[in-house]
Amino acid sequence: MKRWLSGVAVIGGAAIVMLSVAAWTKPDKAKQDRAAQIARGRFLMLSHDCGDCHGGVVDPSQKGWLTGVRGPSQEFKIGPCYVDPAAKPCFTTRPKNLTPDNATGTGRFTERQIFNALRYGLRPEETPDVEITSTTPGQGNFPLHPHYLAPPMPWWAWRHMPDEDLRAIAAYIKGGLKPQTNKVLDSEGPPDFWASEYTVEKIGPYPAKSYPQSETERQ
Amino acid sequence: MTRRTFRLHIALLAAVVSPVLHAESQEHSHTASVSEVIPVERAPGPAVLRNESRAPHTVEVTITAEPVRLSMIPGKSTVGYAYNGRVPGPLLEVYEGDKVIVHFRNRLPEASTIHWHGLHIPNAFDGSPFHPVAAGTDFDYVFTLQKGSAGTYWYHPHPDHNTGSQIARGLFGSLIVRDRNDPLRGIPEKLIVLSDNRFHPDGSIDIADPESMQGGIDFENGRECSHIFVNGQIEPTITIRPGEIQRWRVINASAARVFRLAIPGQTMLHVGSDGGLFEHPVEVNDIVLANSERIELLVKGTGAPGSATVLQTLPYDRYSPQTRPQDWDKPRDLLKLQYTAWASPKHVVIPSSLRAIPAIDTSLAVRTRVFALGQGFINGKLHDMNRVDETGKLGDVEIWQIENIVGMDHPFHLHGFQFQVIDRDGKPEPFRSWKDTINVPKHSTVRIIVRLADFAGKWMYHCHILDHEDHGMMGVLELN
Repeated sequence: MKRWLSGVAVIGGAAIVMLSVAAWTKPDKAKQDRAAQIARGRFLMLSHDCGDCHGGVVDPSQKGWLTGVRGPSQEFKIGPCYVDPAAKPCFTTRPKNLTPDNATGTGRFTERQIFNALRYGLRPEETPDVEITSTTPGQGNFPLHPHYLAPPMPWWAWRHMPDEDLRAIAAYIKGGLKPQTNKVLDSEGPPDFWASEYTVEKIGPYPAKSYPQSETERQ
Repeated sequence: MTRRTFRLHIALLAAVVSPVLHAESQEHSHTASVSEVIPVERAPGPAVLRNESRAPHTVEVTITAEPVRLSMIPGKSTVGYAYNGRVPGPLLEVYEGDKVIVHFRNRLPEASTIHWHGLHIPNAFDGSPFHPVAAGTDFDYVFTLQKGSAGTYWYHPHPDHNTGSQIARGLFGSLIVRDRNDPLRGIPEKLIVLSDNRFHPDGSIDIADPESMQGGIDFENGRECSHIFVNGQIEPTITIRPGEIQRWRVINASAARVFRLAIPGQTMLHVGSDGGLFEHPVEVNDIVLANSERIELLVKGTGAPGSATVLQTLPYDRYSPQTRPQDWDKPRDLLKLQYTAWASPKHVVIPSSLRAIPAIDTSLAVRTRVFALGQGFINGKLHDMNRVDETGKLGDVEIWQIENIVGMDHPFHLHGFQFQVIDRDGKPEPFRSWKDTINVPKHSTVRIIVRLADFAGKWMYHCHILDHEDHGMMGVLELN
């Protein structure tokens, strides 16, 4: 009986050790996954040339990498004034500081808000942190009056990237960058926050129709 | 007024008497057919609520909210909502220490509440969306006004998702808590309730369809409207004697408009804000009054006998560039300040010390909460009546760090508790005051300190731009 009891104790002890090893290695796995996700996000931001507008060009080791514009020479003029400086309307777009600084960057945005910015073009500071399931204003958490990111941010192209890639970008922004303080002035725009520019007719449907779609694509 | 128009007024008065009597005789059947309430043209009740109690230190009043037909803009008749038939509603005037009993009779075709904006009173009587008063029913608000609470407040409905619409229709009134030892007693007072509204050509109130372009702009800026009212009137006249000093209590009851008050060519003494008097008067050229804030000013009649000047609102850029109104940079006249032909008979000495406001020591704070104000939500979340966003312990002192992360101003209001401002963008507040609403300018951070004492329950905090609040820019703090 005694031997049997000690057998149970040995098995029980082994089980506890195994369980605690499992518990101990599990977050490590999560950590590795997160590191891989962040690395993937970094690769995507490099390959999609985010630094060209948001700072640092193509080199994350550069000072100012993704910290936003630092002066009028890096701003965009949107509207007819792009051709004729005197023409109206004329809106200034200032690419934002993407580092997770609370006051001047993305510190107060969740990764889901950044995901929604890339997938739906919705400004994270002006769109609630909710899962969006529709692109019709007022439905499926899509805002009745959507506030779109100012052009030329090409979210309408990048929204077609897979979910996991957009999440990886959000993970890199929130988890892979050091907060840097750089206050970028707000971009300007029309009172509809570009809604009339981002209709299905102008930017195509989401999700895109499956391949092959038209006569210019191979059948 | 000519004799002819005077006769007309008499005739109108006679015409409204019979529907009033008729309506009151029908009162018992009100609850049954409340959705069919037809607005009647009523003679407005008194401008100050009559105390129905004879008990000492007790103020008992009746406030009825109901649809009314009245003249809001010249030459037009408007169907709105009113407290006791008046827009603004009647003044509730009480003293520190008074027990207040308000018999609220909701004769609207919808649920409502009365929120006693700024008062430190039990949660059940705060009139928050958690305590709706159904259409056609009555509710008694009962509370006692604490020592030190003397100040200028206001009352308004606060039903879930429906505050803006009910205030726009005319439901707002003023409340003065007096101190029997008021250091400024004896100085003549004027109450100035500022509001704005928008009307269709036929005189009906214009509340834009949320899906329309105007609805979108109203959601951004809040419903800021072209008709500005002072005590329900357009550019009325206030008289002042040359040399006289008047105490003005100003309430911003508008849905969104921020006023920047100035009298051209003269300074004013800013002596109080939301929760009453400062410690010392502060001389100002102009003063920003965000919606739902209150100020107390001492205005000196510096003009010549018979001359006139104006109280203006100067440009104040609270807007995002996308929806900034075209005329935002134009000053507007609010009222005419007319000097009488005769000078003030007496010389008034303004005390340099008004009262003591003990500082809430920041070392007592047990925690700092961060509230990031987005455009129409707080900390990423839209308001949900079934969710508690923050929990706290009754009696704790807390620091609240309110960060506005967007490009327009948001006035932040906490129910039930007066607080003190610590700093704005790290810059220490130059003097102490009691506040219940603080305007947090675009891309800036304000830290406040508050003692969450006395009253447990679920307390709202929200942006006081009514369109934002109704959209969900509100949260719930539960104190246990």
